[in-house]
Amino acid sequence: GVFTHLEMLEARAHEAAVKQEETEQQEEKLARLKARVQELRLQRDELRAKVDLQQKGQLGKEGVVSDPAQPSARTVLEWKIKSVKAMLQVFYLTGISGKLTKRGVCFCISTAYEGTYLDSYHLDLLTKAEVQIHRHSVPIFIPLEQIAKKYLQTDIRRFLSVLSDHLNAYAGRRYQADQLQGRFSNRIEGTLQRNSLCNLLVFNYNVSSKSKTFPFNARLLYGDLCCSLPTEVTVSCTPDAPASLAEMAAAHSDLFRRVALHKAFCSFSSAEESVD
Amino acid sequence: MDNSICQVYEDEIQSLEEEIKLLAEKYEESQQESTFFSDEEILMSIKSFQREFQGQSKGHESPSDLKAQLESLETDLSFLMKFTGIQFTSHSKRTVEKTTNRTVRKHRLSGNCHSLSFQLEFQLLEMQNKETVSAVITDLSIIMESGEDSDVSKFVSSTEEHGNLLTFFRSLSSYAEWYEHRRCTFLHFK
Repeated sequence: GVFTHLEMLEARAHEAAVKQEETEQQEEKLARLKARVQELRLQRDELRAKVDLQQKGQLGKEGVVSDPAQPSARTVLEWKIKSVKAMLQVFYLTGISGKLTKRGVCFCISTAYEGTYLDSYHLDLLTKAEVQIHRHSVPIFIPLEQIAKKYLQTDIRRFLSVLSDHLNAYAGRRYQADQLQGRFSNRIEGTLQRNSLCNLLVFNYNVSSKSKTFPFNARLLYGDLCCSLPTEVTVSCTPDAPASLAEMAAAHSDLFRRVALHKAFCSFSSAEESVD
Repeated sequence: MDNSICQVYEDEIQSLEEEIKLLAEKYEESQQESTFFSDEEILMSIKSFQREFQGQSKGHESPSDLKAQLESLETDLSFLMKFTGIQFTSHSKRTVEKTTNRTVRKHRLSGNCHSLSFQLEFQLLEMQNKETVSAVITDLSIIMESGEDSDVSKFVSSTEEHGNLLTFFRSLSSYAEWYEHRRCTFLHFK
């Protein structure tokens, strides 16, 4: 009837109104986004020009340049603050850095393997009365207490140095094992077994000789915790393997004692490439 | 159809915002690296800054805040230099490459450890991957005052070859202490 018809018309009008509103909102949104893009493009172009000018100004001017416009006192201070912060960051690269606290010092021991910096460890020391370790992030398998007992009260520098030796050696051992697993996974049979201190490694690896591959087993024990080279190495091949392989195993054993693990494997790869 | 246009704009906005952030950082770093103010200029600035803003703090850090910050940083630095024995006399850096994940800077550093002086140049590559930042040293070049000593020069060239900056400092520290101890002992017996 009439009512149903009216209702239908009303519904349609409502639908149309909603659609109209949606379209308008969409158009508004598009317009806003477009304006924002223009704004950002302008900002970006201005910055680019600024940076280019800066680069040109520095080409051929080796050495220091003072700001031509008279710098404000605030600018000078902010520059100095950044400069001192940068210097403090450089200390991180030296292996021992830190900052003074209300009750003592918070030291940071950084570790590295050759040019690659690895994890760093913190020690919050209280120095008011006797020296105490308030908090630290040294892993539990590092003999921190032992080292502290020996040196902390008498020579903090020595304490940090010895601790740093332990931590750097640990980091170095772990790095070598990680590199082996990561870069030479195709040569490793099964999993590389290691303990948390990374001073005992056991793994099986493949050696090719005359287009045949042979399994070797290696056991590396790092008896000196401040060293990242093993003190005891056992490399064995299967009992039925040819004599030349036994010689190779002995050579590998010697190599692992002298050269970092991942570097030793690098030399295997290049040696094999040149023979086969 | 409209939604995809929106997405295109939104993607461009994000990429522009990242680019702007990077350019702003580049600009600031370049300004920092090419500027130098002497200690007198800094002292003068501290004094004039305090006069200018007597009692005012416009949401910027007040002069006493900046001064306190600088003092705290300088105290930390002088403590570290005294504690480790490593005194840096100059440091300059130059940003060679900077992208969202990767920054490469060339550093020049000189100083001394007890009586041994050194001059270093190296390149530091910092990479941001997920939550960690990795740092790698390349192109390490070391000049030591007592470079004629064959032990020292062997040590230096091996350190340079492997980019062993950390080992350099740790060894320098213990060598310098020993050297100093030996020097004092000799003087004692003169």
